[in-house]
Formats: sequence, structure tokens, C-alpha cells
Amino acid sequence: MAGRLNTLAGRLILVLLVIHAISMPVLYFTLAGVFERSTTDTFIDSVRSYGRTIADSFEAYPGLGSDEGIIAHLDSVMFGGGGVYAVLEVGGKTFRSSLMGEEEVGLFREDFTFGEHGDDIYYLSVALSDADPPAVLRFGFDEVPIHEGIEQVRKTIVMTLVGYLLLALLGTTVLSARVVRPIKELQGASRRIASGEYERKLTVDSTLDEIRGLSRDLEKMRSNLVGINARLQQEIADRVAAESERRSLEERVRHSQRLESLGTLAGGVAHEFNNVLQPLVLYTDLALEDLPDDSPVVPNLARILDLARRAKNLSRQILTFSRQGSPAALQNYRLDAVVEEGLTMIRALLPAPVDLRWEISPSGGLVACDPAEIHQLLINLCNNAFRSLNGGSGQIRVSLDTVEVSQELAARHPDLRVGEYERITVSDTGEGMDPATLARIFEPFFTTRKVGEGTGLGLSVVHGIVRRFRGDIIVRSERGRGTVFEIYLPIVSELEETE
Amino acid sequence: MIKVLVIDDEMDVLIVLREILTRAGFEVRIAENGMEGLELLRQERADLVITDIIMPGMDGVATVRAIRNEFPGTRVLVISGGGNIAPMEYEPAAIKTSAYLASAAKAGADLTLTKPFDRNELIEAVRSLTAD
Repeated sequence: MAGRLNTLAGRLILVLLVIHAISMPVLYFTLAGVFERSTTDTFIDSVRSYGRTIADSFEAYPGLGSDEGIIAHLDSVMFGGGGVYAVLEVGGKTFRSSLMGEEEVGLFREDFTFGEHGDDIYYLSVALSDADPPAVLRFGFDEVPIHEGIEQVRKTIVMTLVGYLLLALLGTTVLSARVVRPIKELQGASRRIASGEYERKLTVDSTLDEIRGLSRDLEKMRSNLVGINARLQQEIADRVAAESERRSLEERVRHSQRLESLGTLAGGVAHEFNNVLQPLVLYTDLALEDLPDDSPVVPNLARILDLARRAKNLSRQILTFSRQGSPAALQNYRLDAVVEEGLTMIRALLPAPVDLRWEISPSGGLVACDPAEIHQLLINLCNNAFRSLNGGSGQIRVSLDTVEVSQELAARHPDLRVGEYERITVSDTGEGMDPATLARIFEPFFTTRKVGEGTGLGLSVVHGIVRRFRGDIIVRSERGRGTVFEIYLPIVSELEETE
Repeated sequence: MIKVLVIDDEMDVLIVLREILTRAGFEVRIAENGMEGLELLRQERADLVITDIIMPGMDGVATVRAIRNEFPGTRVLVISGGGNIAPMEYEPAAIKTSAYLASAAKAGADLTLTKPFDRNELIEAVRSLTAD
């Protein structure tokens, strides 16, 4: 209840009730009093003037000589004037109206005084002073109808007041509801805003200017808030994006610096390695020459040559990785033919059930490269893709297309420049890689395979080749979803008409 | 007899190359660096010079250039370990051998062989360069 009284509607009705509780009795008693007084006075005045008229007519009446005449006159006077009884006292003789009822007779008393009343009878006594002998005329009037009239008026007043009160209550309720509804809507709307729901437009319609104004102001606040919020969100998102872009750029630069220094180191090692390998191979060759073919040492020496060949192959791969950025011995080729040729060869090398498909768009320009190394790159990527399928029923897709490297992409990949590139995409639906693995895949000798199953040079070689051709690699991978390698190779000149 | 001069800073390489080429019927001289090789060339002449590319002192490229200037008729075969050659301790920027090979070719090398090559490759290369 206290809660209800704390609402606007509750308060309005309470105030209305308090005002009426005080004003209505006052109004009632004042109205009723005024009416009663005026009605009684009117009654007394009219009775008095009536009595005067009757007295005059008695004085002028010629038939006072006979008793019957007097009584008949009293009757007619009483009948015509609305009286209850009439009595005339002349010289000690009393005449009563014959129409006087039993009840009235019972009420009749000697001590009449004008203006007093009791038992619902109003008495009037008029002295007929001009008559001879002296006479007194008394009349009785019934005041019941007057009182009934007054009572009726009181009831009407009460009913009017009650009706008015009910109307006022109804009016207050309706009015307060009309005032309260939009306020409640505003309250709901501001609550939504407070709880972070800024998006809904605030529309509260009301005929009240104040509420419309309040609603307008709130809506303005809300839309400002939405704007500020959006700007803030945008700013935060921009900052986060800028920060993560800066970090990833730093990471890429660090990554490519690390690969470059690894390349330098590995290249140096490979060079020294080759210098050691050279006399080893040649001395073995000489020793083989010096021995008879049936010597038991020959197979062992032949084995040494085999191993030296393997070592040579290994150092060649390391050198491919370390030879990044060198433009030597490159010529301009159309990649479409080179890639198609490489893939046809790979198709023949992979087990038949492997789902390898490709889509080659005609080249948009010439790329400075070495077809054998492009083939090597495709072999290594397809081999990795094939191994990531783990013998499962995955797919390997290769595509070649011409793309325009945008400012945005170039900003994220420091080794890319704005301009036209040929893009080789190799994707698989294999096991994918986690970010930690992804960060190291181009490092030489980094491998996820078991010892003896891979050298960890495949992707290092790919990286070396791509960097040598002034390109870049973008890798996306997700554990369980597969891996996508995008090789970007810059177009150095337009297609030649003759080729 | 066809005379071949071998220049390399690795004694093992010099010895084994001399042995192989001698057995193959060539007359072989050896030198441990470019200066020594040029000196020898001035004294004795040679039909073919086989030179390493990375050597202390006068390196292969300078050697090839000098031979081309002084002895235009002498053929030159460059042999190299390939790759980013290691001398990081005395070369601040990594030297790229492929770039070296390219400049060696520009300087006038007739052919290059990448180490390690086997006996047959070598003999074939030497024969082809000295055929006429």
C-alpha cells in the first residue's frame, strides 16, 4: 500500500480525497443550511402573507353572522390556502373548520404562538382587530412537504457531491494514467539505456508538452550516446587493430630477419660442408679407380659415394633456402605453363587415390623465375599437403591467378609491394597446424615428422625460392581444418606477343 | 700436353684434383691463391685455369678478371662451394655465392661447377673446355 502511495497516481488520488474529505462536508452543510433557511423563511413569509389575506377576507366577509357560514368560510379558506386546520374565536365562541382532521385536532393546543412549530404543523394566529366583537383567527399549515422538499434537496446535494467526487476520481485516474503512462515509458526507455541497450529509438507520444519535451531530450541524449558509443567502439577497435597490425608487422619483420640470418648461417655451413665433401668424393673416386673391381672394399666405397651424394643433395637444399634474394640466373616466364607442367608431373608422382585438382588462369604477365625451382616449390608444397592428409580422404587444390596487391595487403606484408602479382594457392583439407608450429615452418630442419621421415627442409626451400623470386608467402592454417599457402610472385613485365 | 692450373685454398682439393687430372692425361700445376696462380701463369702459361671463388687475398672473381686481361686465350673454369659463404667473421654483409658466380661469369669465366662434383663431371668439363 505504501508502495502504491509512492506512485504519482496514488499521490494524486490521495490529495484529491483529502481535499474532498475536507471540502465536501463544508459544501454540503453550507448548501443545505442556506437552502433550509431560505425555504423555511419563504414558507413563513408566505404563510404570514396568506394569513393576512385571510384575515382581510374575514373582515370583509358578510356572512359572519351565521355559524355555518363561518365554518363554511373557514373550510373554503383552509381548502384554498393549503392549510390543515382553521379556528376562529369570536367573543368567547370558537369555530372550527369542519375539514379539520382527527389528527390535527389532537395536535391543536391553546398556547399557539405565531411562528412556532412542532409536530410538523405550522401555526398562525391573526387577530381580526377591525371586527366587532374582537376575534382571533388561527390557521395550521402542514410543514411536512417543506421538510420533505428540504430532505429531497439534501439528498440531491449529497448525490451530486458523490457523483462529482466519483467523476473527480475517475478524471484524476484517467489524467494520472495519461501522465504516468508516458513517464513509465520514459522510465523503461532510460532503464534500457542505462543497461546498455542504446540501439532502440526512444519514442514516447503524449499530448503533454512537458512529457514530449522530456522525451525529445532523452532521445537526443540517447542518440548522442549512441554516436559517442559508436565512435568510442570504433576508436577502440581501430587502436586494437593498429596495435595488432603493428605487432604482426614486427613479428613478420623479426621472422623474416630470423630466416635471413638462419639462411646466412645455413649457407655458410653448407659451403664449408661442400668444401669438405669435394675431396671426400674425389678421393673415393680415385680409390675406386685404383682397386680391382672384385675387391671387397669396392661396395663400401660405392656406399660412401652414395652417402656423399645424399649429403650433396641436402646441402643443395640448404643452399636453395639460403640463396634468398639473389636475382642471378633468372629469366622471365609465363607461370601458367610452368605450373601446369609441374602439377602434371606431381599428379604422376602422388598415389592415385589422392584428390589433387588444379585451376590455372592464364598468366597476367611474366615472372622472373626458374621453372625448375617453381616445380621444386610445387613438389614440396604438394608433398606436405599430401602428408597432412595422413592417408585420409582429403583434397589438395592448387590454383594460379593474377592479383593486384593492395596498399593494405602490402602494409601487412613487408615483402610485398603494391602491384600485380601471380598467385599460386596450394590448399589442403588435412590436419592443419597450430600457431606455434606455423611460426616456425620455414626454419631449416624444423619438422613435425618423425626422425627419418623428413629433413625439415621442404618449406625452407620453398621460402628460399620465393624470396629469390622477390615474392612472399602467406600461410593460413587451422588445426583440424587444413592449410592454405599463397605464393605471391611479382609480375616483372607484360606478356610477350610471340610466346 | 694440355696444361691445367688449379687454384684453391684447400690443399686437399688441390692434391686430389692434381691426381685426377694427371691420371686423365693433363699436365697439372697448383697454386694456393690467386696471386700465386697468376704468378705461375705468367711464368708457364696454361690452357685452362680451374679456380675456387672464395679465397683469402685475391679472390676468384678478381683472379678471373686478371686472367681475362692478361691471357685472353686461357679458358677459365670456376668451382664453388655455393651458398652464402661463411666468412661472417670478416665480412659484415653475407656474400651470396650465386651473386659471386654471376659476377665470375661476367668477369669472363667460361664454365662453373658447383662443389661437390665427381670425377666424371670434372673430366668432362675440362675436356669440353680444352677440346680445341
